[in-house]
Order: sequence, then structure tokens, then C-alpha cells
Amino acid sequence: RYIRQLQRLQLLLSPTSADSRGARQFVEEAAVDFARQHPDVVLYVSLRSGRAPVLLAEYLNGTVREELIANKTNEEIVQLATKLAGQSGLDIIRIRKPFHTDNPSIQGQWHPLTNKPSALTVQGPRLQPK
Amino acid sequence: LLLPAARWLVAGARPGRAALSTAPNPNKKRWLRAYLEQQRLQEPPRRRSEKPNWDYHAEIQAFCRRLHENFSLDLLKTAFVNSCYIESEEARRRQLGLDKEAVALHLQDNSRLSEQGRAFSRSYLTRCFEAAYPDLPAAGTRALVDFLTSQELVSYVAQNLSIQDLTLCRDFPVPPNVLQRTFFAVIGALLNSSGPEKTEIFVRDFFIPQLIGKDLFEMWEVINPMGLLVEELTKRNISAPEPRITRQLGASTVLPLYFVGLYCDKKIIAEGPGETLLAAEEEAARVALRKLYGYTENRRPWDYSKPKPALAAAKAVSSN
Repeated sequence: RYIRQLQRLQLLLSPTSADSRGARQFVEEAAVDFARQHPDVVLYVSLRSGRAPVLLAEYLNGTVREELIANKTNEEIVQLATKLAGQSGLDIIRIRKPFHTDNPSIQGQWHPLTNKPSALTVQGPRLQPK
Repeated sequence: LLLPAARWLVAGARPGRAALSTAPNPNKKRWLRAYLEQQRLQEPPRRRSEKPNWDYHAEIQAFCRRLHENFSLDLLKTAFVNSCYIESEEARRRQLGLDKEAVALHLQDNSRLSEQGRAFSRSYLTRCFEAAYPDLPAAGTRALVDFLTSQELVSYVAQNLSIQDLTLCRDFPVPPNVLQRTFFAVIGALLNSSGPEKTEIFVRDFFIPQLIGKDLFEMWEVINPMGLLVEELTKRNISAPEPRITRQLGASTVLPLYFVGLYCDKKIIAEGPGETLLAAEEEAARVALRKLYGYTENRRPWDYSKPKPALAAAKAVSSN
């Protein structure tokens, strides 16, 4: 079954500063809708002044991701929150190859003895009595 | 970081003490951030419940929704309470000098739920394996179920489901046996709230995928595969296997490779590689056992479809 990897979102904003205006609008208008649409994510809103507004995302494997939401509009914050809700908590690093397979070989990987006849098997038509 | 401005007014050789604000001392700020980061990293790990922004009831509700299951919340809350927590809480309250009634916590343990959950999951998994691999002997199914309900696996699953944040336990980080107990208690709570069918689907969804990529003999320790193979073949009335070297490479080098094939009635049943002849024979016996039990790598993948209604009808008929 699908288990959303995002555990909780903490929205830390400031009540008065100008860069958390979008965050305040988000809290007033879109936060409750977001929480209703994602019932398995716990949304905490807390105020702290004097610091930049930040969205902390905590995932099930323990990673905590901080995203600055200073000077972002309401819609942008909603988009960012939905993006975080769809992510897993794996580190965001460069993926070395865009492909992966669990079955690298279907018929068995070649090794030097693959097509060599063994001593015990009976050889071809020459050995049959004519 | 906003540091109080007053500190920086006490300056070194700076002309004009009458100046109200001097520029902050640039040398002092550079190491401060690194120092604070180091202090933050060297802190002992704290429970999530002790950090800011924590609402236990909301977290439990989110936990239920995350697993797409309906739990009865008080059963679930009892499932997270461990006995070590109750003892430590009562000891703490006694130390703080509260009277007897306040000391007694009216909280039930999760031991009963944990036992129920453990027994249920073990029986269900045994039934699953008996249905999927009928040739596997009882020792094998027992080994598989033991592996799936072992401490490391269950505590790994529990940690990735955020059970570590929700358990009430005396120590942090929560030891794996407590996590295992709590996870089984959660399964027990689900059993009591939603009934056996839903719990079966839950157990299947979380335990069976842990078998992916695992080989049979990684999970089941077999000391004498050749003896076991001879027993299995006598049960099926096949003659004893005769080992022969099929191929060999580099017999006189440091890394020889021998392929030993096991023949029953002149027909080959398995072939296995090894560094020495004995190792190759043992490996061939293991390959033969895997083939006999149907646990090869190219077997059909696990069937995750919904349980058939025929079974439910059979149950209804038997109960009537």
C-alpha cells in the first residue's frame, strides 16, 4: 500500500515581518484545505519573530528538510507543500544513472563455462551407432 | 543570527567613544556559526515528543490515516504504552513526592495486545507459507517466520513507520525489542478494532515484501544440506544423488573453480559452483534443495491479490 513519507510539516512564520506575508496568507486561506487533503500529514503552525519564515518537512526515515518561504506567494507555498508531500525522505543528491534493474540477466550471466561442453555430457551425432 | 547589539559596542582601539553603534567585530562572528553547529551536533538525541511542535493526539490520528486503517484510538494509545514507561513515570512521580493516588497511572500495558499481535502474525505467516510453498518442511517455514518476526526486521519496519516517535518508553533511542513489541501491539490493536481479514492484509503488506531479494538459505541456517537433500529424495522415492564434477577451471591455481553436478538415476538435478570440491558439492545440494522446495529465483512472484470470496464463503459455511 502507499504510505506517504511525509510525517509532519512545521510552518514557522513571523506575525509582522514583510517576507512572511505569503505565509500568513497561506495560513489564513489555504492551510486548512491542505490539511484536509492530506490527512496523514500533521501541520503545525507556530510563530517566531525575527527570523525568516521556513517550512520544515520531517519524513518517516528521519530526514528534516527546511525550505525558505520568504517572499513567496500563497499559491507558491501551496505548490511547495504539495511537492514536499509527494517526496520521500531520501537525500536529494545526483542520481548517477537514470535506470536500475533488479534482473540484470534473464538467462543467466555469461561466465567462461557457459557454452563449454562438460566431460560428462554425451557428445553429438558422431557417438551414436550408425 | 541576530546577536545583541550591545556587546559589540565595547570595542578595541576605536576612536570616538561617543559613537552610538560601531560595526560588529567581524572576527568574532566567523567562528560562532560553526561553533553553534558543532554544539547542535554534539547534543544527545532527544525524543521527538520533547522537541517543539508536538501534538500526540494529532500524530496518532495521522498515523492511522497514513496506514489507511481505522483503529479505535484508545486501543492504539494503549498499544504504544510500554511497561518500562509506566514504571519510570511512577518512579518519577514518587520522587517528586506526590501522594499515592496521583502516583498510580491509570494506563494499561501493551503486553496483552503485543502477545495477541505476535501470535496472530506468526500463525498467518505460517499459513501463507504453507499455502505458497507446500514442499517446504516445517523447519523451513518456522525459520522463515522467525526471520520475518525477528527483532532487526520488525524494528526496521517500525522505525520507518514512525513508531519510534509515538512509543512511550523509558529509554531513547528506543531499543529494538521494545519497537518489536510495540509493532506487534499495534497489530493486536488493529486485530481488535478491525477484525482478522484487515489485519491479515496489513501483515501481508508489511512483512511479505521484506522477503524480496532474499535467498532461502540466507534466512534458514542449514548445516548439512547434503543430508537434508538425501532425506527429501528418499521421501519422494528417488535414489540417492551421485555427485560428479561437471566442469573445473584452474585446479592447480590459487582460485580453483569446480562445478559439481548431482545426478539421480543418471539425470541431473542440480549443479553448483565452489572453490573446493566439498564447497561445490554443498552448493549443489543447496541448489537442489531450492529447486525441490520451489524457492528458486525464477519462481512466481508473491500473489498479492485480494483474498478470494470462496474462502470467506467456506468460513461462513463452517461456522453455520
